[in-house]
Amino acid sequence: MNEDNDAFEMRSRVLFQDSVEGLDFAVRSRLTQARNTALDAAATRRPWALGWKMWTPAAGVTAAAVLGVALWMGSPLHHQAATLAEAQSNFEDLDLLAASDEGSPDALEMLQDDIDFYDFADKAANPGPAA
Amino acid sequence: MARFGTLNTAWMVWDNPAPAAEGAVLEYTRELEKFLAEIERRAFRIAQVALRDADDALDVVQDAMLKLTRSYASRPSAEWRPLFYRILENGIRDLQRRRTVRKRVMAWLPGPKEDPDNEAQDPLENVADAAPAIPERLMQAQAMQKLEESLRALPKRQREAFMLRNFEGMDVAETASAMACSEGSVKTHYSRAVHALREQLGEVW
Repeated sequence: MNEDNDAFEMRSRVLFQDSVEGLDFAVRSRLTQARNTALDAAATRRPWALGWKMWTPAAGVTAAAVLGVALWMGSPLHHQAATLAEAQSNFEDLDLLAASDEGSPDALEMLQDDIDFYDFADKAANPGPAA
Repeated sequence: MARFGTLNTAWMVWDNPAPAAEGAVLEYTRELEKFLAEIERRAFRIAQVALRDADDALDVVQDAMLKLTRSYASRPSAEWRPLFYRILENGIRDLQRRRTVRKRVMAWLPGPKEDPDNEAQDPLENVADAAPAIPERLMQAQAMQKLEESLRALPKRQREAFMLRNFEGMDVAETASAMACSEGSVKTHYSRAVHALREQLGEVW
């Protein structure tokens, strides 16, 4: 049985090999073209496209950055920070306004006028004994 | 002085690595070309037996060559053959699936049916073969034709195992790698294939 199998295997192998040897010119030519195309494709492959492994770290960093920004934009911390920044800005505006009023010559002049007026009003209300 | 000499040589190697690298690339390309040239005709015949169509077989072989050179050429050359045949078998399977789907769709669509014999012929296909058609050669061609028909009647895995082991001459380990299965499965598929083929071809072959 084994010998029969061996003979059968040998015969089928020889027949196949004969059929390979008997391939016509057209097929052989197209196979050569296919081989050259494959080799050209391998040779002209650009260095930056060498493989997915090269881009993995960059893609990972980008994905992490995008995820981080997205999480931060959607979190309550972002809104709280915005409110605090707005309040601080208003306070600074008031402070600046107050500082500019106090430091200007007009403000000092007005303050001087007020003192004279209050002095006059006090004397008019409480006339003292004639000296 | 000897120390300076060593440093100088090392610097020269560092400064001009291109010739060595170019030589390696050239050697590697030659090896790849040699491998493909050695394997392409058998691969074509194996694909042709499975697909029953020379053009489809050529397409599948070309795709397998491209995928091997693009994705796996950097692997050790000893791995190329099982890898190539795994790609080839996947390509054959995909094409057979597409054909089945196309056939089902075409059966439902109205209009003229697709006739595979009506396709444009390559003029080179009609070039006469240099070898004379002697009776012995004719008988061999007929015997091969019967073997191909019997192979097509086998389950796919048995056919793959038989063609890779017998036609391509791969050992059990390589065949297992190409078929993505265990060595035990390869032995079983191959043994069943031989048994079935002998039964089918029997006395007349």
